[in-house]
Amino acid sequence: MARLTLDDVTKVYTDDGGGDIVAVEEISLDIDDGEFLVLVGPSGCGKSTTLRMMAGLETVTEGELRLEERLLNGVSAQNRDIAMVFQSYALYPHKSVRGNMSFGLEESTDLPDDEIRQRVEETTDMLGISDLLDRKPGQLSGGQQQRVALGRAIVRDPEVFLMDEPLSNLDAKLRAEMRTELQRLQEELGVTTIYVTHDQTEAMTMGDRVAVLDDGELQQVGTPLDCYHRPNNLFVAGFIGEPSMNFFDGSLSGDTFRGDGFDYPLSGATRDQLGGASGLTLGIRPEDVAVGERRAGERTFDAEVVVVEPQGNENTVHLRFADGGEGTQFTATTTGRSRVEAGDRTTVSFPEDAIHLFDGETGDALKNRELPSNRAIDAFVSN
Amino acid sequence: MSQSSSTGSFDVASLVEDVNLRRVGQYALVVFFLGFFLVPLETGIMTAIKTNESVARSLPFAPPVGEGFTLGNIQFALEQLSGSFFNSLVMSIPATIGSVLFGSMAAYGLTMVNWRAQMGVLMLFVVGVFVPYQAVLVPLARFWNNIFPLARMIEPMVASIPFFQGYHAELVPLVITHIAYGIPICTILFRSYYQSLPNSLVEAGKIDGASITKIYRRIILPISKPMFGVVFIYQFTQIYNEFLFAFTLVTGSDAPAAPVTLVLPAIGASTSGIDFGIRMSAAFLAAIPTLILYVAFAEQFAKGLRTEA
Repeated sequence: MARLTLDDVTKVYTDDGGGDIVAVEEISLDIDDGEFLVLVGPSGCGKSTTLRMMAGLETVTEGELRLEERLLNGVSAQNRDIAMVFQSYALYPHKSVRGNMSFGLEESTDLPDDEIRQRVEETTDMLGISDLLDRKPGQLSGGQQQRVALGRAIVRDPEVFLMDEPLSNLDAKLRAEMRTELQRLQEELGVTTIYVTHDQTEAMTMGDRVAVLDDGELQQVGTPLDCYHRPNNLFVAGFIGEPSMNFFDGSLSGDTFRGDGFDYPLSGATRDQLGGASGLTLGIRPEDVAVGERRAGERTFDAEVVVVEPQGNENTVHLRFADGGEGTQFTATTTGRSRVEAGDRTTVSFPEDAIHLFDGETGDALKNRELPSNRAIDAFVSN
Repeated sequence: MSQSSSTGSFDVASLVEDVNLRRVGQYALVVFFLGFFLVPLETGIMTAIKTNESVARSLPFAPPVGEGFTLGNIQFALEQLSGSFFNSLVMSIPATIGSVLFGSMAAYGLTMVNWRAQMGVLMLFVVGVFVPYQAVLVPLARFWNNIFPLARMIEPMVASIPFFQGYHAELVPLVITHIAYGIPICTILFRSYYQSLPNSLVEAGKIDGASITKIYRRIILPISKPMFGVVFIYQFTQIYNEFLFAFTLVTGSDAPAAPVTLVLPAIGASTSGIDFGIRMSAAFLAAIPTLILYVAFAEQFAKGLRTEA
């Protein structure tokens, strides 16, 4: 169990023409002992490369990678005491489950055979796969293979677990099951874990902290709720949350935000936070858009329902401003029992305490939503 | 009666309907090629079991009748060949195992391990495939006879091994030559197979703490069993049937260390003419080891070809 530190870690590939491609740029992370950190981002953002550098499968071009005080940069994958679960599982096809799981112990430790045997059996018991010990990977279902891959990592009792989208090959139901199971195991074992995914549900539900990457750069590190409620920038705001946040481009004129098809008056307190930026993007989460209800003192807008996606517990409603162009569609989530249909005309309002404002050029967050009790969230977020 | 004839005429009608020129052509072609490939084989077998007289009198592909049948040819050929059979196997089995194993190792190193200048080394291997035998014969002979006379050096050692004679030492340079010459093609064959394997297997091995050699021995080697079948058959057939190197290094069919391919042309030939029965028997006997190999490895072979495709 140990603490993993990344200090300005950079990875540069050289392409065939001799040009440089920066895959990961100056990432600094501090992963605490026993922490579950999720690296999340769209495909090609450098999250897998970062993980592979931690594993020792890629070299670090610049910066330092440390496990406790030990510098890992020049250490080969064989000597890092790190276990990894691959997206494809990478089970050895010619070995039985037992063989797959004991291989790592045979190669990396001097444990006697009967102790290896015992540890493999304990691990398979924990994962509920003891009846599969003598099967070959080809005879196992996807979920079972996944468990074996996990077991192969657990049995070695490493300092750090690295997981590269381990659940992406499972069907939806199994994935949800494994999500909770993984969390339970990690808590039980207390091993520092870095988990790579592009799935923001996994990022939100599994990690102690989330590190959001885009284009090789770290966008934000924080608890899932922190990233959700207080995104650093437009990218994080749009990436975390499903359905994603609505954005409206516009500008500040006087005390009003002028967007395409709607004007939104901003209070003095809000305007003070903008710091003179004139190009703005207004963001609001779908669940904060109030549909069809009139609140005192709120500016309401006429809107037309374009599509309704009922999900039972809630509806995702796609709307368009009555006097806006085609480009100004946005989404709202309403309770499953509310009755709205495509073609309906309704009114919507954006509560001012729920809006986010971003700099139109840099995308930096200028104002994040206010929460009912910031103190309560702070307490929740920081632990 | 009338009923049967009516159904009969119905069948004939449908048969006639099915028969068209295209189909007839196809079947004719199949029969032609079947004959084309099988008749020489059949002729060979028939000749092998005929007496000399019978060979002269009957049609080549007709089976022997009565007095014309004999197993004497086969017996004689076997006696003549037994020593060279041993030589051939002693030469080709280690040579095959060596080139296949080294080829597999080289392919692993060139495909699944990353290092600088890999491409340049691979190009050398590719070039190695295309070096013609004829171009190296003279240097080869000079090397093994004058510069590094290995056979003469190890002769007493070989003679002390049970079942072996001193002259078997002559086969050692031949084995080494075959291994060296076989490595490039084996490497290329294995390389295409290793490229199709997921790289994550090697990565998983690394993370499990295994060294590059351990990963080869404990993961890649067992996985490439089907490919070993394919390359082994191919390489064994090549080496067993090879003539030029054997002719250059062992010299002549009367040398005691001569492998089958050297002895074969001399069998059944004498001043009085050629004994076709003995020749054919010897040819079939010489082909037996490769046939056995194909049968024994058929399953691996099919699997290997499948995975390669």
